[in-house]
Amino acid sequence: MANIIDVPKPRINSSMLSQHINRPVCFVGRVEKVHPTGKTFTVSDGEGKVATVELNDPLEEELSGAVEVIGMVSNKGVIMATTYNMLREDKGIPFDVQLYNEALKIIHDFPQHYPFEGAASG
Amino acid sequence: MKLTEGAIEALANGNPINDVVLQLVNIRKIDGGSGPARFRAMMSDGRHSMTSFMLCTQLNFMAEENTLAPHCICVIKRHVTNILKDGRRVVIILEIDVVKSADQVGGKIGEPVPYTEGQKQSVQPLQSNPAPRAPLHPQNSNNEANKPFHRDMGKKPFSNMPSTPGGGSKVVPIASLNPYQSKWTIRARITNKSSIRTWSNSRGDGKLFSMEIVDESGEIRVTGFNQEVDKFFELIEVGKVYYLSKASLKIANKQYTSVKNDYEMTLNGESTVIPCDDSGDVPMVQCDFIPIGDLEMREKDSVVDVIGVCKNVEEVTRLTTKTNREVSKRTLDLMDMSGKVVTVTLWGEEAEKFDGSGQPIVAIKGAKLSDFGGRSLSASFSSTLMVNPDLPEAYKLRGWYDKEGHAMDGQSLTELRGGGGGGSTNWKTLSDVKTEHLGHGEKADYYTCIATIVYLRKENCLYQACPSQDCNKKVVDQQNGMFRCEKCDKEFPNFKYRLILSANIADHGDNQWVTCFQESAESILGQNAAYLGQLKDSNEAAFDEVFQQANFNTFIFRSRVKMETYNDESRIKATVMEVKPVDHKEYSNRLIMNIRKLANQ
Repeated sequence: MANIIDVPKPRINSSMLSQHINRPVCFVGRVEKVHPTGKTFTVSDGEGKVATVELNDPLEEELSGAVEVIGMVSNKGVIMATTYNMLREDKGIPFDVQLYNEALKIIHDFPQHYPFEGAASG
Repeated sequence: MKLTEGAIEALANGNPINDVVLQLVNIRKIDGGSGPARFRAMMSDGRHSMTSFMLCTQLNFMAEENTLAPHCICVIKRHVTNILKDGRRVVIILEIDVVKSADQVGGKIGEPVPYTEGQKQSVQPLQSNPAPRAPLHPQNSNNEANKPFHRDMGKKPFSNMPSTPGGGSKVVPIASLNPYQSKWTIRARITNKSSIRTWSNSRGDGKLFSMEIVDESGEIRVTGFNQEVDKFFELIEVGKVYYLSKASLKIANKQYTSVKNDYEMTLNGESTVIPCDDSGDVPMVQCDFIPIGDLEMREKDSVVDVIGVCKNVEEVTRLTTKTNREVSKRTLDLMDMSGKVVTVTLWGEEAEKFDGSGQPIVAIKGAKLSDFGGRSLSASFSSTLMVNPDLPEAYKLRGWYDKEGHAMDGQSLTELRGGGGGGSTNWKTLSDVKTEHLGHGEKADYYTCIATIVYLRKENCLYQACPSQDCNKKVVDQQNGMFRCEKCDKEFPNFKYRLILSANIADHGDNQWVTCFQESAESILGQNAAYLGQLKDSNEAAFDEVFQQANFNTFIFRSRVKMETYNDESRIKATVMEVKPVDHKEYSNRLIMNIRKLANQ
């Protein structure tokens, strides 16, 4: 997806996948299992629910810990990733996915105070 | 909406039909003296009308909010009928739905005639007294009335002395109990029993015990004094079901209990407590469990019921109270399906006996919510602690925990570190400081805020101080290589550099000039005073660089603010006591809590 970088990507968790089919999203979670082919892996969000991520090219590194994935949600609720980055946890502070989830709920409960979408597609 | 014709006749004859559709013809408030008001209603089924309907106090709000207004059509879903001495019946309405509001109906339906009831004299109703007294007989009730009960209905005020038909008495629900009836029997389970407490004052000695009992309709607190303690204390066991009859009812003193009932009960000479074998339907306990995640939104000092999995439990500790009493204490963490964890404190014997192995389900009724560490719970002597209770919520929790919950870390509402030592932190924004006029009073005000440094005054931030250990007084340069300290009255060949840093800090609402002394200044600048002194004298560029690097950093400031007078001018001066790095987790949690609180107002 050429211009996914330029477009607003709402932060979501697994429960919100179905409302964002065919839309670009940003998903943060903990890596659960990586498929042996390296082309797909699962992530769990702050509520413990699992989502699947598919990559165009197989992974070239060990993926573990907290990761942020940007991609489009397919019809089947799978995140077709354009890019991902591992969140650093080596400074002694682990990434708190549950706290992140709480913040996510706030953003979605009060969209009037968090107008990230701008002129998003309807 | 058709009224159930014949319903009035049926009810008047003791036919316990339910879900009858009636029209409310009239409703009158009866002043309850020091207790809650009672509402008396005249209902009609289109054919007959009857005035002997009383609303149970739990439904008073329906009359007060005008939901029950004359001419509305309602369905009586639950009621209980009491028979008066003269054979008349009083229908106590326990649950009623308004199916058509008064303004939708507009007028009286049909031409109902009053159903002929007995034309007996009014009998003064009993007023309950807590102290034990001679057994009462209904005939004496006329003379007994301590507070004459005034009825303004005019015709046929009825007494509240139901006669017990036949031998066995009918069991009534706890929710229907009121001070105007004394001859009733309830079947309830004891959920909580206190120990015997004694007192001794100028009026004499006495002892009492109290308990909480529950049935399908509700709960109520019961107290027994003196003779009743001897009669009943040993006999009554927590968890068992008993038939209880003829105790006195009075308005509940809500200060001492979280039991949901307008009334509370006192055992008297006439009261009987009989064990009941058939306890089938009587619930174990009446609890209104709050999800742990919702505790953030509750007011501190409120009393709540909670249930959760005991994730971990600490060792029991002993501490000495202010009155030099030794008491045992134990904390445990409870987590429920909201994913939130709260720390609960147990005391005394409960703390000592508690066994948290195997991550049991723990339920507490009447726990006290505190804002210590954010939010935490404490089991007081009036709380009931249940381990692995036989409740549907407990089974649900067990199933959830075994499947998913055990893997969750849970998010704790009780921040045990960084909360600021012995109490909750007084968080303010910089604009709060001005709008709340902090520092204007006689004493200094202390507060904590998150702010960003926007300016540091590097000129005159260092001074030459007395090199003595505990003296920080500025020394006078004698210009001969010696430095004099007036306080120590000595001269020294050296000095030590100390910092007084003037800074401007800002947040989203306002900014503030503050003074930072040695420790906080060193934290902000990231260098110690001696080194900075050296840099200032030798490498000005490096010295400036320190200040550049220190600018625009965000910290948590604990500050002291006070009004100071300087040459006829009064100004608010703020001093930083402590500087700490921002704990982002704690900050996020606090923001989320505040946002949710705001949203719920």
